[in-house]
Amino acid sequence: MKPVRWILVLIIVAMLILHLAACAPKATPTPVPLPTLVMVMNMDDVVTLDPHHAYETTNLMIHNSTYDTLVEFRADDLTKVAPRLADRWEVSADGLTYTFYLHPGVKFTSGNPVTAEDVRFSWMRLKNIKDNPAFYADIVADVQVVNDTTVKVTLTEPSPAFLAICAAPAMSIVDSKVVKEHGGTDAPDADQTDKAKDWLDQNSAGSGPFILTKWTPKAEIILEANPNYWRGKPKLGKVIIKHVADPTTALQMLQRGDADLLDSLDVDLVEQAKADPNLQVVIGQTLNQNYLAMTSNPELSKPLSDKRVRQAIALSVDYEGLIQALLRGYGSRAPSIIPLGILGVDPAMTQGRDLEKAKALLKEAGYEKGFEVDLSYGSNPVRETIAAKLKSDLAEVGITVNLKPMEQSVYLSEMRAQRLAFCFGGWTPDYLDPTMWTDYFSYHDRGIAKRMWYNNPEAERLAKIIGTEFDLAKREQAIKDLQKVLMDDMPFTMLYQTQQIVVMNKAVKGFAYHPVHFVSFFDLSK
Amino acid sequence: MEMRMGLSVHIIRRLLLVVPMLIGVTLLTFTVSRVVPADPLAVIVSEKAMDHPDIVAAAVRKWGLDKPLPQQYLYYLWNLAHGDLGVSFKTKRPVAQDLAQYLPATVELAVASLLFAMAIGLPLGILAAVRSGSWIDHLARLISLLGASMPPFWSGLMALFLFYFKLQLLPGPGRIDSRAVAPHTITGLYLLDTFLLGDMNAFADALHHLILPSVILGWFTLALVCRITRSSLLEVLRMDYIRTARAKGLHERVVLLRHALRNAFIPTLTTLGLAFAGLMTGAIMTETIFAWPGIGRYAVEAAVNLDYPAVLGTTLLIAVIYIFVNLVVDILYGVIDPRIREA
Repeated sequence: MKPVRWILVLIIVAMLILHLAACAPKATPTPVPLPTLVMVMNMDDVVTLDPHHAYETTNLMIHNSTYDTLVEFRADDLTKVAPRLADRWEVSADGLTYTFYLHPGVKFTSGNPVTAEDVRFSWMRLKNIKDNPAFYADIVADVQVVNDTTVKVTLTEPSPAFLAICAAPAMSIVDSKVVKEHGGTDAPDADQTDKAKDWLDQNSAGSGPFILTKWTPKAEIILEANPNYWRGKPKLGKVIIKHVADPTTALQMLQRGDADLLDSLDVDLVEQAKADPNLQVVIGQTLNQNYLAMTSNPELSKPLSDKRVRQAIALSVDYEGLIQALLRGYGSRAPSIIPLGILGVDPAMTQGRDLEKAKALLKEAGYEKGFEVDLSYGSNPVRETIAAKLKSDLAEVGITVNLKPMEQSVYLSEMRAQRLAFCFGGWTPDYLDPTMWTDYFSYHDRGIAKRMWYNNPEAERLAKIIGTEFDLAKREQAIKDLQKVLMDDMPFTMLYQTQQIVVMNKAVKGFAYHPVHFVSFFDLSK
Repeated sequence: MEMRMGLSVHIIRRLLLVVPMLIGVTLLTFTVSRVVPADPLAVIVSEKAMDHPDIVAAAVRKWGLDKPLPQQYLYYLWNLAHGDLGVSFKTKRPVAQDLAQYLPATVELAVASLLFAMAIGLPLGILAAVRSGSWIDHLARLISLLGASMPPFWSGLMALFLFYFKLQLLPGPGRIDSRAVAPHTITGLYLLDTFLLGDMNAFADALHHLILPSVILGWFTLALVCRITRSSLLEVLRMDYIRTARAKGLHERVVLLRHALRNAFIPTLTTLGLAFAGLMTGAIMTETIFAWPGIGRYAVEAAVNLDYPAVLGTTLLIAVIYIFVNLVVDILYGVIDPRIREA
């Protein structure tokens, strides 16, 4: 009898608790002098907040607000490098040496001054930790401390892209004293001896407008204002970023006033957001491109290794229909690998659908009756609908496409093993220099070009100019020429460039969409 | 005294069996996860870093990927014996640290769901059996049918829409108010932590946030408990000893509570044990919709990302939970029915 009675008591207690809970008053947040901004987003990607280890997306936004870089790209002009910690800089005539002059009197949130030694330590730590973002510092051969506010960087080869690299959050300047206190090191064996990651996951050691005070994986990130920020006091007292994976629920939180900002809404929900008088919708142009890649290796696909067939496929895709019907118009399209907004893009070069020309090319190549090919991609709901559309588009010229969706991780390893003939993938830049695209889509031994066996010395020659030429006009011309070469060889056809639908409370002011770090919390007020 | 000895020998024997079982689990998971035709480097090293031999070499060295598979497995077992579950490919943190991070949220949600399922399911099942064929029996059937047939991703979204968005009766997703900061971690169980910290506002807030997800997650278990309690109680009520008890002129309440329920409870207990282990591990949809940072999502992400150390770690944890829950259920059988203990 006893256990039954015990269980009954338990049930009654549980019911009482649930009843009490339903009647309980809602917890009130602690009052703060400056407004708190609550942002909701899917932050499943965050695995670390140590700027020298992190290589995901959400961390870029956090690092931009908690650390300073030497230079930056402001949201209103993505083609111009603007000063940040460095007031000015000089490039030697041979393009190998960059000298940066730091803004005097800047302090880290710890109170330590920001010095040239911190710059040296930060970049050497990034390089020697040898984690994913280490490639940013590949080009850095040596960092010399000239004096407290002057730092001289020697590169392994002349690079006009270096300033753009310096603006990347991975190149953030950390407080070397604080990082060392927590086990950090910039020694050559830092990949095995550096112990500061755990601390930097929960705290920031920067000079930025905000201070990281807490990160709970898959739950929340808390930033508090740095009242002594050298560019002025932030207008927000605190930023709370909450993980909410479901977009419908995230929007409901904004509509109910439980959140102020939502980073990316599904196209299906835009009308609902626009209809709410308390909300504003901002469309951000990302630099994310989605492409079809076609192998040049006849062993993987004989038809695709013929450039006429690749051209025919590029002419068969109904790009406009895809963007209008499947993305509801929230997408745009660049002519080739360089996305809209970056140096050297000429939208007039964009080539659309031409079924007659496509059929003629296929006939010329000997595939008048078509052929069969597998299309591989990392599966997600958006990609599935687009892949189905591609299949039906190509069927119109007689090409039978077999869809091969895979887990993203399986897709990536297959692609990296150079085993896939026909791929549907995406490309997101890490820093805002054209080499972010030209390097990876042109050199036969790098990036996507390598995975697709693409090898054209002319493309490599142009990519080399883009990677080394300091004269802006010559560089721009090379970018245009490279796109023409790529559009003729057609190893890749760009399908669409995504747009990001940002929703915020009307009370939020100062928002400017940034395609790399999304938003600078320093600009926001409420 | 003898009976107690029997019970402890039984428990010790069961605990000893755990070790070979866990080794078997690791071997199976290890083998299956390596059969997948994908390269773990695809997860560890990013697309752009892939062309940099230094970065690739550091990753290979760090995770011992250059070692032959049997050696990797033995190395894993050796570390496991020393309490080290390895480092996750994806999060790059120790798996044990990750599991400790996500487990409390899952435990809190699973316990709340189980309590909800029992609080409603048991009385409803009993009433449905006693008043078999009446309106309450039909109501119980309807509630069970809904619980068993509504997928949580749908019912969860609907519940949020109705109770959070439209009626504004209950809070939205997450474990606490969106403008509040999580309590200082003592156990990671927010209810317990806020209680221990004496922050009753935060305690009420955490409890409030637990209602919707636990009802949604627990509803299926409720359906199970209700139907099984009803059917086993109906069966018991038809037995001779119940007829005898009634013939003796015992009050119907005594017949039901003292004579019938005790026997009828055994199948329900089995169900509850299995259901609890299921609640601990199968809450992926509920966790996603209610932004609940639990073990379910961690496990799924580990699997799709080929994160072998994390897959092995979560599999082991799940195995331990199943074994432990089964042990507790076995012991409870003995408490309810002494014949089982003696056997």
